[in-house]
Amino acid sequence: MYSVLFRVTAGLASLLLCFSLQAAAPKLVVYTYDSFTSDWGPGPKVKAAFEATCDCTLELVGLSDGVAMLNRLKLEGGNSRADILLGIDTNLTAEARSSGLFDAHGLSLQSSALPNPWQDDLFLPYDFGYFAFVYNKEKLASPPTSLRQLVDDSDGPTLLIQDPRTSTPGLGLMLWMKKIYGDKADQAWAKLSPRIVTVSKGWSEAYGLFLKGEADMVLSYTTSPAYHIIAEQDLRFAAARFEEGHYQQIEVAGMVRSSQQKELARQFLAFMISEDFQKIIPTTNWMYPVVGGDKIMPPEFEQLIDPAPALLLDETSVAEQRKRWVEEWLEVMSR
Amino acid sequence: MLLIENLQFGYSTEPASNMHFDLSVKDGEVLSLIGPSGSGKSTLLSLIAGFLSAHHGRIVLDNNELQDLPVAERPVSIVFQQHNLFPHLDLYTNVALGVDPSLRLLPAQIDAVRDALARLGLENIQRRKPGELSGGQRQRVALARALVRRRKILLLDEAFAALGPAMRAELLELVKALVAEHEMTALLISHQPSDALIASARTAFICDGRVSMLAPTAELLAAETPPQLRDYLGHSE
Amino acid sequence: MIVSRAIPAGLVLALLALLVLAPMAGLLHLSALPGYEPADLRFWESAYLRRVLYFSIWQAVLSTLFSVLPAILVARAFAMQPDLPLRRLLLGLFALPLVVPGVVVVMAVVSVYGSDGWLPLGRSLYGINGILLAHVFFNLPLAVRLLLPLWQVIPQHHWQLGDQLRMNAWQRFRFIEWPLLRETLPGVLLLVFMLCLTSFAVVLTLGGGPRSTTVEVAIYQSLRFDFDPARAVMLALLQLGLCMLVAMLTLKLQRMPEVEVAISTPYRRRSATLPVVVNLALILAATLYVGLPLLSLLIDALQGPVLKVITNAQLWQAFVNTLFIGLSAALLSAVAGWFLLQYSASLARQGRVTGARLIDLAGSIVYVIPPLVIATGMFVLLSPHVDVFDWVYPIVIAINALMGLPFVVRCLGPSIRQSHARYHRLCLSLDLQGWNRFRFIEWPLLRRPLGLAIALVAVLAMGDLGVIALFGSTQTATLPLMIYQQLGAYLISQATVTALLLLVLCLAVFALLERGIGGKSDVAN
Repeated sequence: MYSVLFRVTAGLASLLLCFSLQAAAPKLVVYTYDSFTSDWGPGPKVKAAFEATCDCTLELVGLSDGVAMLNRLKLEGGNSRADILLGIDTNLTAEARSSGLFDAHGLSLQSSALPNPWQDDLFLPYDFGYFAFVYNKEKLASPPTSLRQLVDDSDGPTLLIQDPRTSTPGLGLMLWMKKIYGDKADQAWAKLSPRIVTVSKGWSEAYGLFLKGEADMVLSYTTSPAYHIIAEQDLRFAAARFEEGHYQQIEVAGMVRSSQQKELARQFLAFMISEDFQKIIPTTNWMYPVVGGDKIMPPEFEQLIDPAPALLLDETSVAEQRKRWVEEWLEVMSR
Repeated sequence: MLLIENLQFGYSTEPASNMHFDLSVKDGEVLSLIGPSGSGKSTLLSLIAGFLSAHHGRIVLDNNELQDLPVAERPVSIVFQQHNLFPHLDLYTNVALGVDPSLRLLPAQIDAVRDALARLGLENIQRRKPGELSGGQRQRVALARALVRRRKILLLDEAFAALGPAMRAELLELVKALVAEHEMTALLISHQPSDALIASARTAFICDGRVSMLAPTAELLAAETPPQLRDYLGHSE
Repeated sequence: MIVSRAIPAGLVLALLALLVLAPMAGLLHLSALPGYEPADLRFWESAYLRRVLYFSIWQAVLSTLFSVLPAILVARAFAMQPDLPLRRLLLGLFALPLVVPGVVVVMAVVSVYGSDGWLPLGRSLYGINGILLAHVFFNLPLAVRLLLPLWQVIPQHHWQLGDQLRMNAWQRFRFIEWPLLRETLPGVLLLVFMLCLTSFAVVLTLGGGPRSTTVEVAIYQSLRFDFDPARAVMLALLQLGLCMLVAMLTLKLQRMPEVEVAISTPYRRRSATLPVVVNLALILAATLYVGLPLLSLLIDALQGPVLKVITNAQLWQAFVNTLFIGLSAALLSAVAGWFLLQYSASLARQGRVTGARLIDLAGSIVYVIPPLVIATGMFVLLSPHVDVFDWVYPIVIAINALMGLPFVVRCLGPSIRQSHARYHRLCLSLDLQGWNRFRFIEWPLLRRPLGLAIALVAVLAMGDLGVIALFGSTQTATLPLMIYQQLGAYLISQATVTALLLLVLCLAVFALLERGIGGKSDVAN
């Protein structure tokens, strides 16, 4: 009762606006992560844009992150309110697939900005990014130009990274090292370890510490500098370009099998890969849009490094091996 | 009259080592209880008050059986050695609580409280808090409360132990007078034989959980037997 | 009497058991269903687990000692200087660290002790040093506040006797102060141990790396990444068992004070200059230690977009949500704790000391079951039957009340026990029961510790990030959640401002509750 009362207080304006629509309009429930639904994220704009075309209400439910979302869906089983799950990345899709909770979307993604054609019938991508080490240009004059250089240079820059057990970038870096070094990843980690200042729980802690000057570089995204440039007019930050390429993170959405609004869900997914949705992404989610390319990206994005080639391990290997790989990583890092 | 009949209390399964009291107290009488520490004096008072429950036996006051009644329903007022008063309430309220625990007093009751305080010489300071009083004054307030409650049984558990001889004598005389006036029955525990001499016609010697001897006070205090009594009183051989 | 006290206490205990055991049972049941990882028994014998256990205990023990032992000295210093100016403010300050979400503490600690900080430690910050710094920041002030009331119970004549016997400071401590400390200290040690054992963000980020993995992290990992509910439950039980062991140890140390304490007023001793200087130095050191990170937070925040944050309506809605959760949890916790402690006090008065301590323990130890486990378990139990989203508030409030219970037990326990020991028989004989007893006797005498307990639990729940993050969604945002969201979206300076706002609001709530419930004057003991 109390929560209803305050929802009304906060969203009075939009509520009044939608009142006429709400009376008969169907509702589409999307589970997504917190930063998507927050004020400064894509959520509000997406909601406004979709509701303008759909004659419905879009309810975005923010649950902390991708992992939490998927777990929640699993726990709810067939009783979930969710129609769409938006915000898991390709490291989780295998698990999501095997849960049997999703239905085919039936859409095709013809031209996308992704390097490889999209073939997943269960999940559709909506944005992607690349992991990279971000640094302060004023403090680090010559950053490493490859992952190998970063690892081998024992006088190299100090690093802040995240824990692969609790964070997606952390997991991304671990997979990145695996991709480049394969079975020799352990030795690479051993070489890197002395320069790692700390391994934090999540992206925010590491990035926050980096901004406080605790280390020379932090594991983040190639698009991180874009935030500083556009929102803060701060040109000091850049991502280090590695010649082997950068590990990719593709974020996807899927339609929940138990949904009662499958038509509407498909409509949303189609909307998701259309320009109306995609143009919102760059400056709210700080990732690359899958559709639209240069037309919709702000000019400042041109200042970002070119992360090609995109590195990615296939989802099946990740699903099968992740646990073992994490244990090996733990082994090396705990010494 | 207060009759304690075959009252048994104890934790052991062996009947012999439990406490076992037989006693009677007349109306208007103050009976003194003396005896070594741990002999059961306080336990007896607790049994009468209802803080402890006896296994067997009866407590009878004027043909009413008390032993199965809860504490609040027993016609008992008790004055402890300390912590008789609530430190955050003034004297008036402390006494008034004795009349009605919800502090809703009728005018007649308010007068009764004032009278009791006056009777004990406290009327000028009734707005003070216990922390500002001396030990003797505090015990007098406790007595005022006992007085205003008009319960038939008055129990005093070393109530005046911390007071000087003159103050003690004064309060003991007061107790004696009140008990006689209102036909109460009182039991007084004290470690001072002189207290018993002032307040009581009869004294009981409690030892090993039993009433070992019951006699007129002077006689008991001079007695040579039982040996525990003699040792307790410090009479030389 | 005893019977009537046992009933509400029994009810509370039953509820506690239900709240803790049912979710775990739910999780275990879940893992027995097909589609879940089969139990990997190798894990339970692995060197990894041993390392994790060892590290968890080691960092918790070290943190506890470094927090509580100095706290004794600082509390003593405060007690010895009752006329210290700004005393109330300083003590209020000491209530704050507990409010601050772990992630903000990390930032604040780094601001002070990091490479660019005021007292740079460089890279040695990341390791046990950093963990200790942060844990002591959290727990020293708490311990000070919990120990300080003890000195007010020491009777005047003990001090006078000590002076007469020409006791030096150490002897005074040993014969006068220590006996009373001995009763409460084990409980405080246990509480701080539990707080440090279950500390998460601090350990993981300031710990420097996987070497600093604790059982709590392993539980988090099992439930979120590996989706192995059975292992999570087992680890939670392991953590519980660990704390029980520690509790048993502390139980051995505990002694009831032999002396029945009389009404006393604080004794103002005329001390020589040196002890006064030492005391002031201790107080100053503690204040600086606690104050510097908070100050850095203040400075960082004031450089941020203050106006933008304050004028955001969402923020104020989040604040109202936060306040609602905090107050409800505090009230619930206080009521539950009250019933438990009343029963425990009556047991203690009858001499059944072990029983009394076990009740206290039951109220405290539930803290170590991670809220993640309880929340997920509850979710599993409830979601087939109800729409969990409608139940967010009750669940978050219930779990936060559970988390607050140990604090209620610590704050209120000794006072209830003393009041009971002194006045129970008197109240019985005057037929002062139930409501009358509460409003005339218990409330005036117990207001102060009750006020502290409620204020503490309220701000604890207000600053909670763990529980709300699991159950809440953006619709039920609280201030800590907002902070975390902002941090996750590059809005670091905004997050800092929000954190400052949270702190200021918590300080206000704390002061209001403590004053309002606790009352102004020093009620005589």
